[in-house]
Amino acid sequence: MITQLKSGNIYDPHNKICNLKNDVFIQDGKIIDKKDVKSKVDKVINCSDKIIMPGAIDLHTHIGGGKVNIARLMLEEFHNEKEPGYDSSAIIAPSTLKTGLKYIEMGYTTCLEPALLPINARQAHAEMSDIPFIDKGGYALLGNDDYFLDLLRKKSSQSTINDYVAFILSATQSLGIKVVNPGGINAFKFNQRALNVDEKSKYYGITPREIVEKLTRAIYDLGVPHPLHVHCSNLGIPGNFLSTIETIKAANGLPIHLTHIQFQSYGNNGDKGFSSAAVEISNYLNKIENLTCDVGQIMFGQTVTMSGDSMSQYRNHHHAHPNKWMCMDIECDAGCGVVPFKYKDKSFVNALQWAIGLEIFLLAEDPWKVFLTTDHPNGAPFTSYPHLIKLLMDKTFRNDILSQLPKEILNHTILHTLSREYTLNEIAIMTRSAPAKILGLKEKGNLSAGSDADITVYDRNKKDIEEMFTHPSLVIKDGKVVVENGKIKEYVWGKTHTVKPEYDRSIEKDLGKFFEKYHTMKLDNYILSDDEMNRLIGSPVYVNDCKYKRKQ
Amino acid sequence: MTSQNNIKNLVCPFCSIHCDDISVTTTNDQYKVHQKNTICAKKIESYNLNNKSLVMPMIGKKVVKLSEALKQISNLIEGHNETLILNHGVELAGLRSILNFASQRNCIIDHVGSKFLYQNIGVVQRTGYMATSLTETKNRADTIIVFGNEIFNKTPRLIDKVLVPKDSLCTESKKEIILVGDFSEKIVKTIKGKCNITNIKLDLNLINDFLKLLAANDLKSMKGLKKSELTKIKNILDKSKYLVATWTASDFIKTLNPNKIIASICKHIVDLNVSSRAACMPISGVLADATSSQALTWMTGFPSRIKHIDGTFKHDRNAFDSQKLIDEKNVDVVIHVSTINSEKLQINKNITNIVLGHPNTSFTSTPDIFIPVGIPGIDYEGIMFRTDNVVSVALKNIRDIKLPSAQNILDNLA
Repeated sequence: MITQLKSGNIYDPHNKICNLKNDVFIQDGKIIDKKDVKSKVDKVINCSDKIIMPGAIDLHTHIGGGKVNIARLMLEEFHNEKEPGYDSSAIIAPSTLKTGLKYIEMGYTTCLEPALLPINARQAHAEMSDIPFIDKGGYALLGNDDYFLDLLRKKSSQSTINDYVAFILSATQSLGIKVVNPGGINAFKFNQRALNVDEKSKYYGITPREIVEKLTRAIYDLGVPHPLHVHCSNLGIPGNFLSTIETIKAANGLPIHLTHIQFQSYGNNGDKGFSSAAVEISNYLNKIENLTCDVGQIMFGQTVTMSGDSMSQYRNHHHAHPNKWMCMDIECDAGCGVVPFKYKDKSFVNALQWAIGLEIFLLAEDPWKVFLTTDHPNGAPFTSYPHLIKLLMDKTFRNDILSQLPKEILNHTILHTLSREYTLNEIAIMTRSAPAKILGLKEKGNLSAGSDADITVYDRNKKDIEEMFTHPSLVIKDGKVVVENGKIKEYVWGKTHTVKPEYDRSIEKDLGKFFEKYHTMKLDNYILSDDEMNRLIGSPVYVNDCKYKRKQ
Repeated sequence: MTSQNNIKNLVCPFCSIHCDDISVTTTNDQYKVHQKNTICAKKIESYNLNNKSLVMPMIGKKVVKLSEALKQISNLIEGHNETLILNHGVELAGLRSILNFASQRNCIIDHVGSKFLYQNIGVVQRTGYMATSLTETKNRADTIIVFGNEIFNKTPRLIDKVLVPKDSLCTESKKEIILVGDFSEKIVKTIKGKCNITNIKLDLNLINDFLKLLAANDLKSMKGLKKSELTKIKNILDKSKYLVATWTASDFIKTLNPNKIIASICKHIVDLNVSSRAACMPISGVLADATSSQALTWMTGFPSRIKHIDGTFKHDRNAFDSQKLIDEKNVDVVIHVSTINSEKLQINKNITNIVLGHPNTSFTSTPDIFIPVGIPGIDYEGIMFRTDNVVSVALKNIRDIKLPSAQNILDNLA
């Protein structure tokens, strides 16, 4: 069957197409070239007053795994939403069904869980496989697990570390590697309450810098497309921009992706000891070629923070709203912390956090290096993306909100001086083409022939940009119309994106011994096979290419 | 013809630890377990087929074809007002099918262990706490305080796998184990040689007072406990670098206020973290309680006790309490899904009872309909969640007795 999206205004930054009237042809779930349309077009959809973009990609959203389920369980009193067509689960901790529905209705077709604990991978994938519509994947957490830290303590070769990283990617069916508070989660288990970039952990004697150095190198050597995904040391602490800069330096010029950088861009100036360091961070972002980031914008209102960073979450538990929280040490692998939180527009700190996120967006010279996220649900639920897009595209709207915030923040932010307004093409870059590129998803985020027919069609007659991005006219997933004028037309189930660089399998022998001795499960049972993913977990695996053959 | 097969590393589905190091020899449809812990070995072997095993569907006491049993179930559900699906233990795929079936047929779902589940969840929902997992406890805990003895009946290998393991990554000194409650000599003896043990035969009702005294600066004696004993325990706790408190909620069911006991343990642990490290490790029930609560939570937001109504669902932990529903006759059909339960299954009078159960299921009286189903981890593959809610295991298939899974039956009926 061939479907034609006729005469739409196309935004396809990957192919350098910006607001060009053209057709898109779809066959068997893929986009095809007009010249390859050999038979009759079965369905023509008139898009003459429509905008056509590739399906959106969220490269950092907490949608599956133990901490998400703790939040769902903890916040039962919020599961009382009464929106017709959805279950009552709270959007700050939605059910898997609601997650899929809300994402697809906004035109998002691929989402990445950024904190997939290797030991919890089976659950995270099982959970995500129950999210309808979207393709998904995850970044496996490393850098706080005792096995890895012991490798560093023993001065193991980079090649051995590369083998371990490649093994983890394969065994956990992940698309990338993330490090959270490098070494800090582990140090917290030994009662250290802080760990700066060049501070040695008491037990292993390893610094966060060493961890970042080794892991960025491993990702580079293995040819994994997505750079090391880094949640830096000292999250949320005033003055932390300095450790953020040191973390950037730790990559030694190799590709590195800093996540929810808003939480890592704090100065400590002023009488309240809290100020914006967005300018300093943006200077680095703009000048260092291999540095990318997602923002983690906050929005005012109730949410829940969830993170592998048990050290930070324990530190922050006093701010819990409502007053309950949970932290957990997990399997000599990682940790987690769940702390509900309410961002208040009358709060100096929260208002400045809001401004800092927007500053980073607006100071970024290259939209290919900055990605639109709220670190769902840490900064805000993902459903606030259309509102965030409006903040970026409409300076009057932005300044109106800024004018309602505590005046003192103006002494610590330059947001009011920034007149930039993002264009639709720039929004398409940061929500489609750029994430696909940085993740190595060649068949996503573009409208090239051969790519997945994941497409979002917007009504360009809608005057309010927030409304336009909230309710696309049409969402197509794998060639099927799944949403039409806000109504679900058909349920489809996505796949799991992974990457599997080669490695020396003798690492499994050593790991097997480690598991036998110290773990409470065997290595064989830890490894997730493609077959298990498909048959038991319920999500077939799609293996994406590495950039090149392993270097070392 | 006899075919013998040696299987290493069977993943055991029958308790919440889910050990995956069990050797089994299968001969045709029988299997023999090679495991030092005889309690576990006997339990696993008790699911072997015997001359009392029910391998054919039955309506009342009459053996029928599967198609007939399925048709009868469909008719029964159609003709009744309220159907409860009572989960006595099933793996992830079975649970997904329960949810799907319930949504198609407007049923209520509950798990038999929900009341215990809610005691632990209650703390998460009221205050939260610091938690840990099995491997962390094995490798990092230098001190472990065990409240109540039931934990070792439920999870016999907790001692050698987790509390007193042969190898431990980070603990240098001999572990301290503090047992609070009435523990058997056998348990004490098992632990004694491997670590320092302190056994306080304290009435579990007094846990709250005990912890309050430990937290106070000024120690004094309490009922059943001398000041010197308290001082010794306080010294152990003060020296601890990583303390783990563990219990199983069903142990507190006979106390005056189980919720208060669990809350006081959690608070004590949270308070210790101001200057040291400590964490809680509640042990869940053995009927795949963790699997049920985890999967239902991600699919609905609620861990149990939900009712499907025309495409959506409601949750009410009181109104949809299965025992209450049955006692007050607010349901007229109960579908028991019981793939791993070794206890006698309660058949309720004046209610239609349908059982999807493993072949060795025993009943208090004959159910209206029985369909034998396979056991996850013995007859078919599946996924279950461990007690610490962070690790899940892939169950294997070690015999072929040609029985459908609970998932097969429920999907057929949906």
